Amino acid sequence: MAIPKKIKKTLNINPGPTQGHYPEGYNGITTPNRRKELADLINEDGTHLPKSILHADLDKGMLEFVDEQLQTSVSGKKINLIDKILTLQRWAEFSQTWKFANQDKNVELPFIVVVRKPDVQYGTNPALKYTIPDRKQFHYAKVPTWDGTRKGYDIYTIPQPVPVDITYNVKIVCNRMRELNQFNRIVLQKFTSRQAYTFVKGHYIPIIMESIGDESQIDTEDRRYYQQDYQFQMQGFLLDEEEFEVKPAISRSLVLFGFDNKNREKEPKNLGEKVVDKVKTRVDFIVGQSSVNIEYKYKTNITIARIKNISTVVFQINGITLSEPVLVTPGDVLSITITTPVVGSPATLTLTETLVR
Amino acid sequence: MTNKKIPITRISKFFGSEDFRLEQDIGMEWLHGDMHFTLVLFRVDKKTSDVDDVYGESGPEEIRYKPPVEFNAYVKIDAPSNKSYGSGLVNQMEPGNMTLGVYMKHLEELDIDISYGDYIGYPEKEDRMRYYSVSNDGRVTSDLKHTIGGYKAFYRTITCSWVSENEFKGI
Repeated sequence: MAIPKKIKKTLNINPGPTQGHYPEGYNGITTPNRRKELADLINEDGTHLPKSILHADLDKGMLEFVDEQLQTSVSGKKINLIDKILTLQRWAEFSQTWKFANQDKNVELPFIVVVRKPDVQYGTNPALKYTIPDRKQFHYAKVPTWDGTRKGYDIYTIPQPVPVDITYNVKIVCNRMRELNQFNRIVLQKFTSRQAYTFVKGHYIPIIMESIGDESQIDTEDRRYYQQDYQFQMQGFLLDEEEFEVKPAISRSLVLFGFDNKNREKEPKNLGEKVVDKVKTRVDFIVGQSSVNIEYKYKTNITIARIKNISTVVFQINGITLSEPVLVTPGDVLSITITTPVVGSPATLTLTETLVR
Repeated sequence: MTNKKIPITRISKFFGSEDFRLEQDIGMEWLHGDMHFTLVLFRVDKKTSDVDDVYGESGPEEIRYKPPVEFNAYVKIDAPSNKSYGSGLVNQMEPGNMTLGVYMKHLEELDIDISYGDYIGYPEKEDRMRYYSVSNDGRVTSDLKHTIGGYKAFYRTITCSWVSENEFKGI
């Protein structure tokens, strides 16, 4: 029976909350702490904007991923990794491999090399694919400014990143099965959950394992060695700082109105001339009614504007007959008595009431 | 390389180190004196060249070279080929590969080595130098063809492919 490597002598009977940041649970209102942490990683070095992520950055992220997370050692000796993406430049290839080359300047086995397919395809990352057209700019940050006299803000905007899929072939070339097994175990353990992540300038970029192929040379008469090809797809994105925009926000506003003096026909009639202190009040007298009392709360000047089926009108306050125009003060009760020329018909009296200030 | 040296006693009954040197000197006299094909070797200085972090490659202004060295070799140049950049797009008439036979002693005398990726200039005409990149530096001379009667290797076969002036055009 194998001896277990990880032996736990004690049990943690109080494991604590699932989310360490929120002992009482996340309230769902404030910005989550983890999101703040991620934003800090992206904005590190204080530019208030994320850094560009271009092809070379993603390639470097893949190299670092292989170097750090797929590092393989056999019998205590690390398998050499050619830590560059080899290109067409011959002398560059030579200069990257001389450290572990033999007398004939051939690379010593075992070694691992990362080969990138030159074609970078439009990405399949569902979070980014075909969601926003026309490179529209989006608010990213609001940065306070001070020009010596006025406070203001700069508005930082960025477009949606462009998704890209990059295919890498990580090849191990060796001449012992143990080395193959070791590398295979590390890769499969790493990709048990289908994907692993590399970290590029504050962003976690997913990598998916697509296939494992064997290209071993096991002919009887030629040199024999193992070569296996692990194909990975990086689902990255391009973020180009050339597309970022910084523009000042509104710091003060001045509203101006303009009118066309020539086109007077469209002006509302009586605008500005209407006397709001003057109102017309209609008093209806039903058949058989000849008087009415009206209490005033304001100092008002009253004149007759129009009459219908009325021959005389008498205004009285506290029994005192008054002639037109009648001036009433607050609290006065004006008594209006009429006579009608045609008995049996209703009468109408329209008064003009002007507020006296 | 191991410091331990083993005497070569192959075909020693009728061929030895003195014969080897004589044959080699006669050949070099013919090649360097009579034929006199002169080429220029541009060795990339891999220590001082400014290389990219990710790809290890350099732009034309970032590569540093060691001083160019003239050397002699037996030259064979393949016929030019008429190619295009795919599906008949943009015709391209390219020089063929250049194969050099170089005496190893000559390289030792000049204290130079020709490595994979170095550039070699061949003066095609008085006013036209063509440049090639070493695609096979012929370092492994284990076959009997490179020996005199199986005694010891004495020359290297170096294969070069043409490079456009966009990649290299002399120093």
